[in-house]
Amino acid sequence: MIRVLASGLRIHFLQLSRSASDVLGITVWPILYATIAYYMFGAESDPRVLLTASLGATVMAIWSSVAFGSGGAIELQRRLGTLELLVAAPVPFGAVLAPITIATSAIGVYALAATLLWGRLLFGIPLHFEHPLMFALSLPVAIVAIGMLGLVLASTLIFYRASLFLGASFEYPGWLVMGLLVPLSVLPGWVAPISWLLAPTWGMRAIRESTIGGSPLRAIAMCLALSACYAVIAVAFLRAFERLARERATLALT
Amino acid sequence: MWANPALDYSAAVAADPLVAVEVVGLKRSYRSGKGVFRRRSSEIEALRGITFSIQRGELFGLLGPNGAGKTTTIKVLTTLLLPSAGTARVLGLDVARQPREVRGVIGCVFGGDRGLYDRLSGLENLRYFADVYRVPARGQRARIDELLELVGLKGRERGRVETYSRGMRQRLHIARGLLHDPPVLFLDEPTLGLDPVGARELRQTIARLQQAGKTILLTTHYMFEADELCHRIAVISSGSILATGTPADLKGRIADRTIVEIEAFGASDEMIERLRSVAGVASVSVELREQAQVILVQSSRGPELVQPLLRELEDARVGKVVSRQPTLEDAYVDLVGSA
Repeated sequence: MIRVLASGLRIHFLQLSRSASDVLGITVWPILYATIAYYMFGAESDPRVLLTASLGATVMAIWSSVAFGSGGAIELQRRLGTLELLVAAPVPFGAVLAPITIATSAIGVYALAATLLWGRLLFGIPLHFEHPLMFALSLPVAIVAIGMLGLVLASTLIFYRASLFLGASFEYPGWLVMGLLVPLSVLPGWVAPISWLLAPTWGMRAIRESTIGGSPLRAIAMCLALSACYAVIAVAFLRAFERLARERATLALT
Repeated sequence: MWANPALDYSAAVAADPLVAVEVVGLKRSYRSGKGVFRRRSSEIEALRGITFSIQRGELFGLLGPNGAGKTTTIKVLTTLLLPSAGTARVLGLDVARQPREVRGVIGCVFGGDRGLYDRLSGLENLRYFADVYRVPARGQRARIDELLELVGLKGRERGRVETYSRGMRQRLHIARGLLHDPPVLFLDEPTLGLDPVGARELRQTIARLQQAGKTILLTTHYMFEADELCHRIAVISSGSILATGTPADLKGRIADRTIVEIEAFGASDEMIERLRSVAGVASVSVELREQAQVILVQSSRGPELVQPLLRELEDARVGKVVSRQPTLEDAYVDLVGSA
């Protein structure tokens, strides 16, 4: 199983790296998000706030990549005609799909590096982390958690032919509900419980508290717990939606 | 010959150990909807209760026109579609209830350009699918080399698939379908769109696979291909099987007939209708070949029928006229035409 996961990650990265448009999108978006974030908070603000803003921009980029990438990945497999072959493989379909969503989430590692470097070079933001070790832990935990949330999304999309558009429609509401654009405190009260169920909220909190101070352990634990929940939900969804797709003939493009 | 040690056939116990594929009363319908507010749904019956079986080691052909139900049959057998009614078993495993087990013992190759990662090389594609199809890491490279040799892609495996010709892609498809050494293979129109040389090479590969002991279900609408390769054939049309037998059996159904092939230019529908009413004519079909109409007349009267036929076509320009023995294609046209 580990071999299938590793192979899937490798293949998906290779696929992404060989398309000029994909590489351009992945390269440019985080820098755009970071620039917008810096100007939103104002260059004269507290440097620590600016650093948090840039990290928020990173999580935005990761979420966009997963929300759009999960639907896009299924759509791409449909278009290439490989979706049916992967479903017809003897390994569980989740093992084939998980590397795709985790790979899209892991693109966030680049997004992080690009955002921090951009902020340092153009806005002189100091790269100071209160808990460097916690920061090093919270980042991969957030990436896996967001990747697993992407897996839940992707599993529902096997059934729908318009998967690309459905996945993309989660992008902007996600930014708001997870507190990536504005603090959750300015949103209506009913938004908060929804945000608690979403991994990027906790991923963002863990990264923020590792950077500007606080106790990020609780947020990291929540990220891990949510990842496990997402995995269970995704397996159940995959089983149900695969059966529905076989019943209603939605695996193929035509 | 390489054998996949990861394959477990223990669950595959057929009621009759000689039978590899068993289809009984298989039905499949598709539902489609129109409209947003007043949604009207309609149901199309793609398979109307088909029954057939394939012996182990047999190369079985499913012949039929477009939309006959060939691909639907393959998709049900490869666990990609659930049947609406009836049963289908592969090596004794139920395709609806035991999909995971069935997937371990089958290989599927769909015709056309799709089903590969274009931006990756042929080798990268095979490595990935080898992992997904549980080919053990040890011996994986040797297995891939063996298959590249078998399908004639040795030396070209490092090129990106997007640079491959259609024939090369199709051969790569075959190699992918064989990675885990499945005992049963489903080939859905594998020579579709290939040039004559590529198609002939692929037919030779399919024949070699059958000789190596694979059970193969081949769908095609190329009669000569089915005649050359298949032990037995089922003719399917509008979701029903019209006849099953060896190519010789099917040809034998019209062995007492003679085929008169008339090349005509400007023959009207009325003239074609008049041909049908000539005494002794069993069936008339028309094919368009560039500017010409090729009229195929089946009859039990033999070459003596030529003159009465030409009299009915006197207002059209007539080219070559040939009288010959029936082929599998004629038997097929007769079956599908009279369905």
